[in-house]
Amino acid sequence: MRPSKPKPRGGGSRHFRRRRFCKFTAEGVTEIDYKDLNTLKANIAENGKIVPSRISGTKVRYQRQLAIAIKRARFLALIPYSDSH
Amino acid sequence: MRHYEIVFLVHPDQSEQVNAMVDRYRTMITNNGGRIHRQEDWGRRQLAFPIAKVHKAHYVLLNIECDAPTLNELTSAFRFNDAVLRHLVVKCDDAVTEPSLMARAKDEHDERESERRSRHQAAAATDEAGTDEAAAPAAQTAEDAA
Repeated sequence: MRPSKPKPRGGGSRHFRRRRFCKFTAEGVTEIDYKDLNTLKANIAENGKIVPSRISGTKVRYQRQLAIAIKRARFLALIPYSDSH
Repeated sequence: MRHYEIVFLVHPDQSEQVNAMVDRYRTMITNNGGRIHRQEDWGRRQLAFPIAKVHKAHYVLLNIECDAPTLNELTSAFRFNDAVLRHLVVKCDDAVTEPSLMARAKDEHDERESERRSRHQAAAATDEAGTDEAAAPAAQTAEDAA
């Protein structure tokens, strides 16, 4: 077995990152609505992809709700699937 | 009886028939002992991507309470109606009656639009007044020259 080298972790003193926080937890959201386009648009990348929770800091519970809401909104053509439509 | 939220997209060419269609669906639901808790017309909206080669569609939202056979009837009606481009049915926990974010956004947009229009008119009125004032000194100078 290869001895695994300790991976350089992100953050540290060289790359300082502002502490992420979950917006939905902070606001005490009960349910993410697929009709709330401003919230959904804040959580998709420019190419239409869902922003991963490791980037946005969204809690797992809300990330699941968010994914469902975004997919519903996409089905109704409220937000795009991709940037190449 | 369960609560459902339904959104369906109507072809923009059949936009005028939306009211008749919604009435038909309403009677279909109420005749089977269901209820309608919320009905919204989001109007013709730009689609994020073309569906069936159209770029705009008329959106209608319904929050209803009905039994499974009625819902099946309704969804098959959507499917056999060529004017309906797409429909989405979501199961809900309870009745939703307050206006949705989409309707609110539309109202705000309309309000802003009318506000803008009234401001535009007001600006035009003041402009006219301004030109009158501007014309008055010019007349005075003309008199002075004479």
